[in-house]
Amino acid sequence: MKVSFPHMGNAYIALSSLLSNLGAEVIVPPRPTRKTIDIGALHAPEFVCLPFKVNLGDNLRSLQMGADTLAMVSGMWACRFGYYGRVQHQILRDAGFEFDSILLGRDGIGYVYNKFRPTVEGNLTLGWFRAFRHFKRKAEAVDKLEIKSRQIRPFEGRRGSTSRALTEGLSLIHEAPSLEQIDAALSGALGLLEDVELDRDREEPLRIAVLGEIYAVLEPSLNFDIERRLGEMGVMSYPVMSVYKWLFRPLKTDPRITIDEYRARRIAKPYIAYVLGGEEHQTIAGTINAARSGYDGVLHLYPFTCMPENICRTILPRIESEFDIPVLNLCLDEHASPTGVATRLEAFVDLLRQRRRKRPPARIMKARS
Amino acid sequence: MVKVGIPRALSYYRYFPFWKSLLEGLGAEVVVSRHTGKHLLEDGVRHCVDDICVPVKLFYGHVLDLVDKVDYLFISRLVSVEKGEGDTYTCPKLIGLPDMIKSSLSGLPPIIDFVVDVQNMPLKSSAKRLAGSFGVTGARAKRALGGALEVERLYQAELLNGVPPEEAIEAVLSNGGGNGSGSRAGPERTGGGDLNIALVGHEYLVFDPFISNNLPRKLERLGANVSFITQVPSAVVEEELARYPGISWSYEKELLGAASHFLSRDDIDGVMLVIGFACGPDSIISEIITREVRTEKSPPLMTLVLDEHTGEAGVATRVEAFVDLIRRSRTRTTAPDPN
Ligand code: SF4
Ligand code: SF4
Repeated sequence: MKVSFPHMGNAYIALSSLLSNLGAEVIVPPRPTRKTIDIGALHAPEFVCLPFKVNLGDNLRSLQMGADTLAMVSGMWACRFGYYGRVQHQILRDAGFEFDSILLGRDGIGYVYNKFRPTVEGNLTLGWFRAFRHFKRKAEAVDKLEIKSRQIRPFEGRRGSTSRALTEGLSLIHEAPSLEQIDAALSGALGLLEDVELDRDREEPLRIAVLGEIYAVLEPSLNFDIERRLGEMGVMSYPVMSVYKWLFRPLKTDPRITIDEYRARRIAKPYIAYVLGGEEHQTIAGTINAARSGYDGVLHLYPFTCMPENICRTILPRIESEFDIPVLNLCLDEHASPTGVATRLEAFVDLLRQRRRKRPPARIMKARS
Repeated sequence: MVKVGIPRALSYYRYFPFWKSLLEGLGAEVVVSRHTGKHLLEDGVRHCVDDICVPVKLFYGHVLDLVDKVDYLFISRLVSVEKGEGDTYTCPKLIGLPDMIKSSLSGLPPIIDFVVDVQNMPLKSSAKRLAGSFGVTGARAKRALGGALEVERLYQAELLNGVPPEEAIEAVLSNGGGNGSGSRAGPERTGGGDLNIALVGHEYLVFDPFISNNLPRKLERLGANVSFITQVPSAVVEEELARYPGISWSYEKELLGAASHFLSRDDIDGVMLVIGFACGPDSIISEIITREVRTEKSPPLMTLVLDEHTGEAGVATRVEAFVDLIRRSRTRTTAPDPN
């Protein structure tokens, strides 16, 4: 079985490890670029949301690279994401590709579990257990690297050195085959990041919370590598979500994530009374929390026509004024230009710098809860 | 008497007779916004996020039309509208509608946030809660609810007969709100034309004459008999859906079931899928309809995307082209199906 799946930030590292430990040959498509999006958009319905188009582009690449099985989460969701796999796979079949689908969620646990019976050597349950441990260990390692690089990037002496170290570190983890080797790769990778030359005399960086639709926040090809851009502008970014949370939230194995979700829902409740099926609670609560913790601003990212985030965008101006926190909305689609985004980002950062000069940082906001 | 305003948009097309009758039974006067027009739509567009769907923009326009005229604004929150197995929802925007309105418009009268969430709470409880907020309880509340349910039942019967919503509303509300038989206003719709065309799309698009550019009329003028999804009984929809499981948006299920029904009928010559620009659920379901439901044997299927910029001329051209296509393909088939 040559299995592949669409990208979502650095999730491919943990996902490849899961699948290869289940005995599958894993095909990882190249990280998506604007070109991937264009290819995806060519085959996708015109006004479907952008992550659909990126995923579809990834799938096309995978099939060209010889994948014979495409995996995707699917099933009953309140939002379009729940139907991505079903529609994408149909589009690809209509285009003449032949492959096997694993629609996790729609196909049922039993089906997916047994799917790997032929590929797992020995006991299937043990195989899954082993695969899950590797998956988890890699996801955690990647998360640690992402956090670390975020913390040092605004201080790097030479522009781009953090990202280079991060890329190298990530590939160490990606290639580590055993649990011990993952641990060793992690310390090696952290070492690489520690070696990045820093200029600690810089002024306190601006602090910006990054939130919105989850792909828009976590997938660099979709958001023009926003995290790196911000860091290289000397800004400390705080994404409300992470690939780790995205992977483990549905599994409900990590109580920290469950508690965080519960809290976010509670904070967002006065503004959004019911579940909408996206990241709306994290968007609203994240903005309020950013104001309360004295961040300088909020960057709200979402794909063109994204339903839950359109609702958030409608509500955010009110929160912006009630909690006195500047919010920049960036609506992303396949036509968005990198220069346009860069210009708006620079203007926003300038505004925040001026604002910071007028008031001391880390002021704790008093606002109604 | 307190005046309660109901916007003529979105859930209006489903529930207006019910709400009006209920509110009147509770002693309120109901005011409906005017029909959609250029200014009303522009007002809505101006107060909305650019990339939100047209029907929500229209809803905003209708809310703004009522603001100075009423003491309360009635805004529904449709969370779930189907009982039955599995989680079902409406679209996120229908769930978050009151939240959006409350947070983005200023100077609004107080809002009656009417929750329809039948998976977790019977409609009766929502209605009772509303009655309570009007200080009406006991037998009077019960009577108001009973009357309202009866009117809604008559309304649905009219729709099933093929009467368009505005006419059906008039029919059921003009004869005393609930005990007359509204069915006399149901004319036989099919007749006259030489073509049968089915319109599949949300009622708030298809039946808003302004945004749809009078689509049903246009088709009729071109010699078509028009069928609507409101004419497809829910049992038929359910049956069709058995072949396309796994959708949890209730209203999209209706579109899917109706499309499947129309596409398999040999007396239907063409199906028009009417979808709103920037509508999330439609972007998925239209793809499922064209890829999973349509077969080689299906009658021609056309997708018409409507937005606030779609002009009269644009719709006319597309509709004429579609009707031409059907007529031409017909003359080419020498032996038409016996039906
Ligand atoms: S949350 Fe937004 S981007 Fe994600 S599926 Fe829903 S509409 Fe699409
Ligand atoms: S179903 Fe579509 S048209 Fe209706 S409110 Fe939702 S997004 Fe808008």
